[in-house]
Amino acid sequence: MIERYSLQPGNFGGDTPKEFVLLSIIAQSFFQPFSLEDNLLVILTALTAGSGIGFNRAMLFLRDGTKLKATTWLGPRSPEEAEAIWTMLSSPGIGYAEVVAYNRDLVTRMVKDIQPKLKLFIYDLESKSLSLPALAAFKKEIILVTEARSEPLVDPDFINFIQVDSFLCLPLIAQEEVLGEIVVDKGITHAPIEARDIELARLCALLAGNYIYTTNLYKKVVEMEKMAALGEMAAFVSHQLRNPIVAIGGFTQQMLSSPCQPERCHRNLNIILEQVKHLEDIIYKLSHFLKITIRELQPVDVQSILPNLVERPDIKIKAAKKTISLKMSENLPLILCDPVYFEEAVVNILDNALDVTPEGGKVYLRARPYNNKYVLIIIKDSGPGLDEKSHDKLFSPFYTTKENGTGLGLLFVKRIIDICDGKMEVQSKSGSGTMFKLYFKVQERRLS
Amino acid sequence: MKKILLIEDDQALSLLYEEELNKEGYSLAIVHDADSALEQVKKEKFDLIITDIRMPGKDGIELIANVMGLRKDIPIIINTAYQSYKDDFMTWAADAYIIKSSSLDELKSKIKELIGT
Repeated sequence: MIERYSLQPGNFGGDTPKEFVLLSIIAQSFFQPFSLEDNLLVILTALTAGSGIGFNRAMLFLRDGTKLKATTWLGPRSPEEAEAIWTMLSSPGIGYAEVVAYNRDLVTRMVKDIQPKLKLFIYDLESKSLSLPALAAFKKEIILVTEARSEPLVDPDFINFIQVDSFLCLPLIAQEEVLGEIVVDKGITHAPIEARDIELARLCALLAGNYIYTTNLYKKVVEMEKMAALGEMAAFVSHQLRNPIVAIGGFTQQMLSSPCQPERCHRNLNIILEQVKHLEDIIYKLSHFLKITIRELQPVDVQSILPNLVERPDIKIKAAKKTISLKMSENLPLILCDPVYFEEAVVNILDNALDVTPEGGKVYLRARPYNNKYVLIIIKDSGPGLDEKSHDKLFSPFYTTKENGTGLGLLFVKRIIDICDGKMEVQSKSGSGTMFKLYFKVQERRLS
Repeated sequence: MKKILLIEDDQALSLLYEEELNKEGYSLAIVHDADSALEQVKKEKFDLIITDIRMPGKDGIELIANVMGLRKDIPIIINTAYQSYKDDFMTWAADAYIIKSSSLDELKSKIKELIGT
């Protein structure tokens, strides 16, 4: 006999200690689409939900260069509000999503009164006269402050702001790097901060530090990917431009270096003109390629686009003496993309398919739902297929097998599909044609 | 007359090289891909091979390896738009690595150095 359990942290039974409930809600954030702001909010909630871990209010500082800046302050303004939050959190079925929604509301409500004052708390971690709370981040130590008003290490402005005698400073650290700090207090209940409170707060700080660390890492990876794409683009551009430029220069030199017969001169000038046109074409396509940005994905109706697409004059001309066979499933769901770019992506591949299909041959265009999540577009040609090498090089920016190709077409398609969060597969065997599969995400039906 | 086999998939450039090298007194056979080049090498005796690297089908590096298997003694010049392949150890097997330029002086003098006129 086997029993199956979900990986997702669920709800504990009624007599579960409150800390477990809160930690379970925090753990649910690992299953959410990544949002640092929301994840930190959930942690701050866990820390401050009155009867939960035991604190009432939390102030979040994030590190920006050498500065430690206060960014968020979360906490009820009265014992009644604290009670209301805790009641909400302890009601059955409350999870990550509810906590985030509730707190966003709470934070927005507080922004007006508190945010301007919050901005005053910026500490320079390199300053020699660093005071608390920032000193804790600098020292990488959890520091509990009691009798704050008579403690010389505490910043008096900070005390005036939070108006409590006792607070706990939790540095947020990951991989030995200081990433921020959370300051918590019991400003509503005025109960003493106990050892157990500190233990639980330490756990929350550890999670918060790791969230920030992961986010920073993610940002770095995205930046690096951008740089790599840029380098690839530079190599591509210089190669693409060099061939025509060498031809233009070479034929010009030929005309200059020896007396030029009129016919020869005329021929050379024609070649030069042709090369210039090719350069223009490359530059046009390149600028077009670099321009692809889709601000907002919108619902796209594949069912109405594909039949019109195969009737386009440019496609008709290419398809003369060849057949395009289009079949679509009935009731195809809408996909999320951009209508113009979607059409261009399909046309690009269809265009290639028509190029390699011999006269009398067929190109197949199919659209059907896949897995409830995607609409799958299949484009199959009757061409010679790809050998292994061409298959590998298919998406290299400079790769083309066409006499006047720019090698940008498929890269363009891939870029569009990436933006639309879809995927693309190519299947080909030498001698039996090539099949492109484009998966576009279906627009999810929203539950009302 | 010394015979050169040129592998170049760009039509305008093929014409340019043909005319310019004919002027220097070489005869040229031109093919557009590596497989045709190998067929030529099997059929005829060439004094020199000039090849690009990036081309449809087999690339120039693979071509060099194949040619070396057939005729070890033919000098090879790589003439390409890419600087980056210079680091590829297989291109060291070639006798020269030239970056395509609108001045054919470097190419011409390298040919002369390798096979004379």
